[in-house]
Amino acid sequence: PFFVNRGGLPVDEPTWERMWRHVGRIHPEGERVARRIRGAADLPKIPIPSVPAFQPSTPIPERLEAVQRYIRELQYNHTGTQFFEIKKSRPLTGLMDLAKEMTKEALPIKCLEAVILGIYLTNNMTTLDRFPISFKTHFSGNYFRHIVLGVNFGGRYGALGISRREELMYKAPVFRTLSELIFDFEEAYRRCWHTLKKVKLGHCVSHDPHSVEQIEWKHSILDLDKLSREDFRKELERHARDMRLKIGKGTGPPSPTKDRKKDVSSPQRGQASPHRRNSRGDRRPSGEKKPADSKAMPDLNGYQIRV
Amino acid sequence: MEPSGGRREKPKGKEPPARLEKAKQKSAQQELKQRQRAEIYALNRVMTELEQQQFDSFCKQMQESGE
Repeated sequence: PFFVNRGGLPVDEPTWERMWRHVGRIHPEGERVARRIRGAADLPKIPIPSVPAFQPSTPIPERLEAVQRYIRELQYNHTGTQFFEIKKSRPLTGLMDLAKEMTKEALPIKCLEAVILGIYLTNNMTTLDRFPISFKTHFSGNYFRHIVLGVNFGGRYGALGISRREELMYKAPVFRTLSELIFDFEEAYRRCWHTLKKVKLGHCVSHDPHSVEQIEWKHSILDLDKLSREDFRKELERHARDMRLKIGKGTGPPSPTKDRKKDVSSPQRGQASPHRRNSRGDRRPSGEKKPADSKAMPDLNGYQIRV
Repeated sequence: MEPSGGRREKPKGKEPPARLEKAKQKSAQQELKQRQRAEIYALNRVMTELEQQQFDSFCKQMQESGE
């Protein structure tokens, strides 16, 4: 199960109790974990990390490292309850307010929260393009979803984010093409036995923290089961070209997402398009079981390598 | 010189009860947040260790089954 705290902070009692019940169910020590921690007088004091601040002369790659260190310092949230509710359809300004709250409250976060935070912390880096990259992978009969914030600085691609796995989050902006970056993630997935199934690439996010635009999460949807290796690479580069040309990033009032989908940069996209948009049949909650079609994995009491 | 409008000034040091109550609630809320934060991070440490142990065991099994 995937719990979200929807009542703000402090966490309300039902949500708080649900969190501890969940922990009691999944930890081998059961309720002893809660008994040790709840009400304990000697819990360590966790300092609130300082939001990184930079001199104007600090190079962007160095700033990105500092931003990533900050995100990492919050820690990946393994509690089973997400503390900040993120509605992806919210206007950017609302999401940036949420990001500010995240820096004030300083709690463990998961990948989507890290993307929102990454946007917030890089808004003043106007020469840095940011765009969301979503992954859908398959492992041992289940599908898993993950998201990072792709970045492009001076033609070099990288990523910010947070993950259970070290290799599936920060990437220094050294990749010469978007394909190289995505292939790097694919290889990282392979090393933890996940097969990459789908990649969704968003468009560049506005640097205006008060923008009422929505983040475009899936400007390109690439289904690896339907694409040859070469076509996959071509589509990635097509997306990179779209971003370079800043297609769809106008200065006028924001257009609804559906309208933007019709407008494509490349006239070829409509022909036997290798990607599907918003395929409802494809939307599954994380962890939903499918008939196993991969070789049997050792069963560690049903342990799933989540990312 | 008298205040304009004949308004009476409030005596210094006497805050309205509602404002005091509000300040109290805010302080209590802040304390609760701090307490929850401490417990969350203590819990996160335990759960992170669990995840790492399980991942390490799984990787070991995979390597052994590969051999």
